[in-house]
Amino acid sequence: MGSRYLGRKLSQAALTIVAIVILNFLLFRAMPGSPERILLRNPHITQEQLEAVRARWGLDRPLIPDQLVDYIASTATGDLGYSLKFQGKPVVDVIADSLWPTVLLIGLGELVAITIGLSIGAYAGWKRGGVVDRVGSGISLILYSMPYFVIGMPLIIIFAAGLHWFPTSGMTSVGGRPTDPIGQLVDLGRHLVLPLVTVALGLIGSYSIIMRSAILETRSEDYMTTARAKGISDVRQLRSHALPNALLPMVTIIAINLGYVVAGAITAEIVFNWPGLGSLTVTALSARDYPVLQGVFLLLSVAVVLANLVADVVYGLLDPRVRS
Amino acid sequence: MRSPMRGRAGRALAALALVFAALLPGAAAPAAAADPVVLRVGTTQDLDSINPYATVEVVGFEAFALTYNLLTDFGENAEPIPGFADSWTREAHDVKFHIRTGMKWSDGQPATSADACFSWQLSLDAIKADTNVGLGYIDPNVKDAGVTKVDCPDPETMIVTTDDQSDRVFQTYVPILPKHIWSKETYKTMGDAKFTAPLVGTGPYTLAEWKTSQFARFVRNPNYWGPKGFEDEVVIQFFKTPDTMVQSLKSGELDYARDPNAQQLKALQSEPNVKTVVGAANGWTQLAFNTYGTGTGKTIPGGGASTKALQDAAFRDALGYAVDHKTLIDRVLGGFGDPGDTIVPPVLGQWHVTPDKPRAFDIEKAKSLLDAAGYKLDSSGNRLDKEGKPISLRLVMPDSDENYPKAAAFIKEWYGQLGIKLSTTVYDSDTLTSLLLPPEGGDPKANLAKYDIELWGWSGNPDPNALLQIFRCDAIGGTSDSLYCNPEYDKLYDQQLKAPSADARHQLLAQMQNLIYDQAPYDILYYDANLAAYRTDKFAGWVNMPSNGTPFFSYGTLNYTVLTDATAAPSQPPAEASAAPGASGAAASPGASSAPADTTNTSSGSNTALIVIGVIVALAIVGGLILANRRRTGGTEEE
Repeated sequence: MGSRYLGRKLSQAALTIVAIVILNFLLFRAMPGSPERILLRNPHITQEQLEAVRARWGLDRPLIPDQLVDYIASTATGDLGYSLKFQGKPVVDVIADSLWPTVLLIGLGELVAITIGLSIGAYAGWKRGGVVDRVGSGISLILYSMPYFVIGMPLIIIFAAGLHWFPTSGMTSVGGRPTDPIGQLVDLGRHLVLPLVTVALGLIGSYSIIMRSAILETRSEDYMTTARAKGISDVRQLRSHALPNALLPMVTIIAINLGYVVAGAITAEIVFNWPGLGSLTVTALSARDYPVLQGVFLLLSVAVVLANLVADVVYGLLDPRVRS
Repeated sequence: MRSPMRGRAGRALAALALVFAALLPGAAAPAAAADPVVLRVGTTQDLDSINPYATVEVVGFEAFALTYNLLTDFGENAEPIPGFADSWTREAHDVKFHIRTGMKWSDGQPATSADACFSWQLSLDAIKADTNVGLGYIDPNVKDAGVTKVDCPDPETMIVTTDDQSDRVFQTYVPILPKHIWSKETYKTMGDAKFTAPLVGTGPYTLAEWKTSQFARFVRNPNYWGPKGFEDEVVIQFFKTPDTMVQSLKSGELDYARDPNAQQLKALQSEPNVKTVVGAANGWTQLAFNTYGTGTGKTIPGGGASTKALQDAAFRDALGYAVDHKTLIDRVLGGFGDPGDTIVPPVLGQWHVTPDKPRAFDIEKAKSLLDAAGYKLDSSGNRLDKEGKPISLRLVMPDSDENYPKAAAFIKEWYGQLGIKLSTTVYDSDTLTSLLLPPEGGDPKANLAKYDIELWGWSGNPDPNALLQIFRCDAIGGTSDSLYCNPEYDKLYDQQLKAPSADARHQLLAQMQNLIYDQAPYDILYYDANLAAYRTDKFAGWVNMPSNGTPFFSYGTLNYTVLTDATAAPSQPPAEASAAPGASGAAASPGASSAPADTTNTSSGSNTALIVIGVIVALAIVGGLILANRRRTGGTEEE
């Protein structure tokens, strides 16, 4: 791959991230309400106390340039400030605590959805008009259009509240939690099943539908006709000729989707009380916790930009025409 | 030919099934006999802080009341009972408290009067400096009790001096903190003091672990002096949605759910082993009219109410006839609540009075009263104020309660029948708080009180003063959201503070309640209900505190210490008499506050089976339709 191509992509990504940092700062200041006003729920607060709070959090200084410059400088050094909601804990720590539950849930969800979605899509496209195509495509379409809440709630009602197979919510048991590592792993696994199934079901639809179209497109290509004429088996035609070519557009879609892994699926996390970044976003939003919100949005934006960069690079590697 | 792909998929599926089977309940480690008994409580309110001086939420008060004792705790009916002090005597203005002999903190250190004096002195110092400790929710209790001095001559004696002889000193919400841990803090720094789990307290359960927005775990205090509850641990879990909380209660993962909504509560009434409670709340939801200028003649340039009519008691009185409180309870609250009238909620039974001249819903009477007061209709049917301008009112409300917009829609319709237009706007609570402030709130440029009616609510303390002070002239710029000022009311308020007896105070409170009702700066729409549900198959001995309230999240934490093992109990206590679900008003009245748990024999298992069958049938129908559709169109697709 040409270094010019890579350099261009890298500089584009860097510029985008700088723009995001500035936009991120301004966006949250433009929102109605202000963090110190949270304290006004206290009917006894005095103006002096309010001003002291503003001074302590640096909210009394001019937004531009003072607060903006401070923000950019500290962000560059990895200091995202301190959370208002989480008892003054560093934002980086707050985000780190919520990051891995989200990566676990959404990452695994993506993995399951990619495996199952692509398999169903590929098989449905290959055996167009067959039972798998008819039922699979129909169900994929339904799942594609269902929000996580609609998928998750019935799962809770049936498998948690009804059959008592799995816990309704949370990531681990609280109080009476197993102390041995195996027990803890099983405990985590049991809590993970329903949210994982929800996330996977929500994602399978889109992968399956897109994969089916991609396979259908490749089926009509000349090289497929040649392969059939050569008497290659059905399975080899699919595996060696159709799949590699159909996977090309999927690379972009998967890469971009992986960028969203860190954002979490907010509704899925809310329904299952999953302590990930989605839940954190909602908590921070309701508390007007600007530093945490900025941190989360920055992380999400950077993740998406990086995922796009990876997609561009991988695409460039796979398809030489792109580089030119 | 057997497809290798199918074989691979089969193996993958088999592996998945194995993992799945391993995670099913039977595979999980069985609960050992030594496992702690955990009481799990669910709420949708998030704990904001574990520093008692930095919390504003009910759940925060529950957390610190579990960990710390008050000097006198709250009994079943919010009456003072022994707490950090086990007895007391009054001599004129001095109350001598005896601190428990040999009491220890949960870390084993001796708990003495020095701890009590330290904790109360924080508030006294703040009052003296005319400021607050932390967010200012603790020290007003000391101020309101008229406390002027505390003295601890020996480790078992604390003498509290008050400037009156009321009983408020026995209902003072001041957690007694361990001096040996917090002695370096002052009233200036305590609000910012970093409280981290585990906390040291003298309460029945001390906070051992807190994960923000997830849970707070409390463990039994081995040195607790009082009765021991069956549970070894208490876990308060924070939910983002009540739907999940209710499902957790149904599944048995929760033992108690706070504040399910009306529909969820009704659904839970038929759930086996679940008991629902409709408790009377110590608070209300109101329409607060912007009366700024009443009694003072002041105006706000570029702000204030849109019409002077709101300063006229006759106008506000007429509006009171146009709002049907009973309909709001039936249609907005699902039947759970009581119609509102005076400013002391009925739950404070000994202080509440019903108005001498109550207003009944009567649109025609409202119209004639408006006509008589000089607010005529124009030819287009618009009601005009005395300046000849059509009256068009702006109602503002917070986004914190799903019922507010529903209530506002009814009010808009009723006011519309009077020829008064009403526009409604929803704000987040913090923005709304700023919007309501008049110039007295601090910043004369930003605080313009630019609204006509505010729809919001209040909740109070065991003593009515917390709610009564909202209507004082000096509350304008602070808690007052009607911006009402009436020196006559302030005089009565001061008199009741020094009332020589409960009877004398009651008479003064009755006058104050009638004065506000007649002057109508508020239209109290309803006294809210506290809804709760709990399971009866694990813990027994649930008691409502007070008797017309709910077991938890009211006053005191006595109830956590009286729960027993339901499986060991010979029989369940008989279900209390209940109002029919959905019955208006009465559903929340004292003595009729609980719905029977075992109203049906339907098991959750059969419900689930029905749901599963339903889902399968639905999927089959959808699948069938898709197949049929494909078959019809399939021919052309193959072309």
